[in-house]
Order: sequence, then C-alpha cells, then structure tokens
Amino acid sequence: MVMSFFRKPEEGGLKHIDAQVQGMINDARHTFDLAMNALTGGPVATVADEVRRTDRRINITEMEIRRELVVHASVHGGVDTPEVLVFMHMVKDLERIGDYNKNIFDLADEGVSLAEAPDLGRLLGYRDELSSRIALMGELLTTRDEDGARAYITRGDELRREFDDRINELVHSTEPAVVAVPRALLYRFLKRVTAHSLNVVSAVVMPVDRLDYFDEDDETRA
Amino acid sequence: MIETPRRTSEGGISTPVRAVVVLALLYLFLTGVELLGGGFKYLGKDLVDGLFEGVSNPLGGFFVGLLATILVQSSSVSTSVIVGLVASGVVGVDEAVPMVMGANVGTTVTAVLVSLAHMRRAQEFRRAFAAATVHDFFNILAVAVFLPFEIATGFLSRTATWITDQVIGSSGASFKSPLKEAVKMPAGWVRDLLEKLGAHGDVMGGLLIGIGVAFIFVALAFITRNMRLLVADRVEVAINRALGAGSGMVAILIGMVITISVQSSSITTSVLVPLAASGVLTLENIYPVTLGANVGTTVTALLASLATGSPAAVTVAIVHTLFNLSGIAVFYPVRALRNVPIRLARGLADLVMDRRSMAVAYTVGMFVVVPLLGVLILR
Repeated sequence: MVMSFFRKPEEGGLKHIDAQVQGMINDARHTFDLAMNALTGGPVATVADEVRRTDRRINITEMEIRRELVVHASVHGGVDTPEVLVFMHMVKDLERIGDYNKNIFDLADEGVSLAEAPDLGRLLGYRDELSSRIALMGELLTTRDEDGARAYITRGDELRREFDDRINELVHSTEPAVVAVPRALLYRFLKRVTAHSLNVVSAVVMPVDRLDYFDEDDETRA
Repeated sequence: MIETPRRTSEGGISTPVRAVVVLALLYLFLTGVELLGGGFKYLGKDLVDGLFEGVSNPLGGFFVGLLATILVQSSSVSTSVIVGLVASGVVGVDEAVPMVMGANVGTTVTAVLVSLAHMRRAQEFRRAFAAATVHDFFNILAVAVFLPFEIATGFLSRTATWITDQVIGSSGASFKSPLKEAVKMPAGWVRDLLEKLGAHGDVMGGLLIGIGVAFIFVALAFITRNMRLLVADRVEVAINRALGAGSGMVAILIGMVITISVQSSSITTSVLVPLAASGVLTLENIYPVTLGANVGTTVTALLASLATGSPAAVTVAIVHTLFNLSGIAVFYPVRALRNVPIRLARGLADLVMDRRSMAVAYTVGMFVVVPLLGVLILR
C-alpha cells in the first residue's frame, strides 16, 4: 500500500470520482429495471435481496465520493471548488433515485401487481423510456453534450407534467383505493426519478449557483 | 460537468520541467547550507560566543530552536540551519540536540493556525483544534521524556554518533561528501563576489550567513510548493487509502512518505486538519499520520548534513530522526500511552470549543510568549 505511492497513480482525484458516479448511475438503472419489472409481472421475491444490496451500494458509494471530495479539496485547495460542489450535489440526486427505485420495488413487495392492468402498455413505455434516460444521463455527463442535455431536460419536463396529470386523474377518479393508491404512488415515484435525473443533467448546462433551477431558465431547453 | 482548469500545469510548467526546477532548488538549498556554515567561520569568536551563549543551557537551546522554527514556519529550515551551525563548529552536538527538539515542537504552529479558521462552527472547530494540537502534545510529551533522559545519559547523541561512525566513519573532523563537492563552486562564487565588494571578517560572515539562510528559506519554500503540485494526486490517493487502512503502521508510513515527498510536515498536518474538521478523519486516524510526518520531515536536515562534510552535523540530523522514532516507540505501540496525547488534545479542544478566546490565548501563549520568555530568561 505504501509502495504504491511511488508507482504512477491509477486514476485518482476527480477522474476516479467521475468513474464512481458512472457506477452509481449503472446501479440506479439496474434497481429501476428490477423494480419496474417486479411491478409489471417480473420476479419479486428472488430479486428483493439484489435490489436492497444494490441500493446499499449506491448509498455507500455516495458516502465514499463525499469523503474523497473532502480529501480532494483539502489536498488541492480551492482550484476545483465548482466541480467538487457539483459532484457533491449530483451524488445526492443519484442516491435519491436509488431510494425511489426501492420505493417502487416495495410496492411490488407489498403485493401490488400491474401485470394485468389495462394501462400496462403505457406503464411499460414509461419503464423503457425512464430506463434509457437513466443510462443517457451517464452518457451526457461523459460527453458534456449541451444540446443533448437541453433536449433531455425538455423531454423530462414533459414527462413530469404527464406524471402530474396521471396523479391528478387518480385524485379525482372513482377507482377503488386498492387500484388508485398504488398507481398514484408509482407515478409520484416516477416523477421524482425524472426530476432527480434532470437535476443531475442540469450540471452539464447550468452554473453551480443555478443547478436544479433549469425550469426558470429558457436557455436550458432545446 | 463543469470543467475547471487543471492545476498540474500551473503557470504552464510541465511535469518534467517542474521536476528539474525542484532539483535546481535542492541545489540552491544545499548551497545555502554550505554558505551558512562557511559564514560562521568568518565571525569573530567573541561575537559567536555572544550570539550563542544561551544555548549551552539545554532549556535555552530548546527555546531557541522553538522560536526560530516559529519565526520561519518550518522545522526543515531551522534544523538545516542548526546542522549548518554544528558543521561550522559554532555549536556542538550536545548543544544542538535540545535545539532540534525545540524545532520539533515549533513546527506544529502551522496546523494550529489552520484549525483556527474553523472557529465559527463549534463542533467543526473542536475536531480541527484537537487534530492540530495532538501533534503539539505528542511533541511536548516526547521532549518531556527525552530531554531529561538525553541530558542524563546522552542516549540519543551517543546512538546517533555510533550510527554516523558506521555509515561514514569518524576519522578527522570531516568526511568526503559528494554533495559538498557539488556545492563548493557556487558557494565560492558568492564568496568571491562579496570579497570583490569589499566584505571581510564579521561583515563577510554576516552576509554569507544571511545569504545562506535566504537561500535555504527560499529554496525550501519553492520546493514544497512545487513538490506539492507534483505529488498532489499521489498524496490524495495515499490519504484515501490511509482512511481505509485500519493499520496504524501503514498510516505512519504514509505520513512519512507524503512528508518526504512534499518536504514539509506542516503541509501534511495542515491537510489533515480540514479532514478532521469535516469528520472524515478521526483523531485516532490522524495521530499515526502525524507521527509519520514528524519522522519524514527529518530527511531535509539529513540531506543538509550530508552536504556539510561534517560527521557532527550528520550526527545531529540523525538525532532528530532518532528523537522522533523514540517518541513513536513510547507513545504509539502501547494503547494506554498512545491515548495520552489524544486525550489531552480532546480535553483541550472540549475546553476551547465554548471559549474560543482560549484557543487564541493558547496559540499566542504556546508559540509566542513562552518561547520569547524562555529565550530571554535563559540567555
């Protein structure tokens, strides 16, 4: 361990943290897929441990990244302060995505199944789109594609409005609670996953002081 | 992601060029040591005796070492100067040992000052102040144990002399040092220039000493700045690894390696203070890294001593290393003793957390009042 000091350092510093963030995103996509599959007819009991283990890994990675950011700031001084602040902010959003994915899985674990639901097609569409969007989040952070980020944010806003509309429909519907409540919760969780992914991607186009406030800035949209 | 300018090419200097700059600065440092030692040879005996009359008293020597280090904010500078003094014959090994111990204590002032920056947030300040003062307490305890022991037995100086004998032999008052040969030429240029300007005797001696100290100070300042840039990534990886190490010995070694690399224990310990303040590192994590930094910083004086060609100077540099290693041997392996400086640091931090003015009073008292009084009274 001490002799490794004299070897050329493997990726350290912010590059290492970048890689860990990508790892968090991969884990977030994995738990999202497992959770949505569990709700729409896929396995539940057999994937429960995997979901919880992955969620714990996301949480541990968040703590590790925060610690490494503090070490980085102490060793290098204030040169990378904006990047450090962005990473600090980003890992919180990624951890929240992990939490909401677990909340989605908990619905299935509680016995909710939408496998026979009349709107299954729409739910599977949301599942596929959000899963792709979680992966795209990682790509946009790597490529720093500002146009792509703006398009991502625009579509994300549309999705959030759609989820709000679904929730409002359920609020005013006459469906029994056993039907309406799980759906309302699901759309709420999907809206939060979408919102947190927008927060993450906003780092590509927004300055540090206005992270998350992309909805107040027309220039962030395609 | 927001891209910030990378620090690795500060001022457009590439890594290989920066490494060459560091070597050049090292050369300047060694030249400074040579000039310093040479300068004292020009001074009159009465003047030299007058300057250093206080250091024959061990406590006086201790406070001189302490005050000198606080003034220059670097134990590397002060111990290099002490080594130069010994090489020139102005100060003997027995007189230099307490000075070196004082230098060890004085170097902790930087970390304490860094901790004061956290004063506005009570819990953060408590952790930061404890992290800084654990170094103070270790050094003070080591002096409390080893200074009387050294006075009574000469254990450190005798052991160091034996090691010097084994490594370079003790025949004659000097040994053939390749480093000394390397710096003779530039030192000679400075002497010749001053002679042409009409300097001689005490004036020549004073100028050589002043230029020598300036070279040492400037060289070390820029060496630490450049080395910090060169090895920052490795230091970061090393600290991250140390956090997960679990082993105190590994943490000690990491502290040593980092400090040797950046040539400054103050940088190592000052990096640890904000980590402690944020709670990322505990006092128990920091303590062994600090001990390693104490040992790592003795390398500079060892290097300086090798440039003097004086076995006595090498002995003093080895005493510095042995003193720190002995301190570790007493205050680390046994848990009860290991906890003494940790508990003292926590206790003081708990005290000052609610009375922040006491932290300032401690800093001023410990690093200004006490050394000044010590030097004035014991001279």
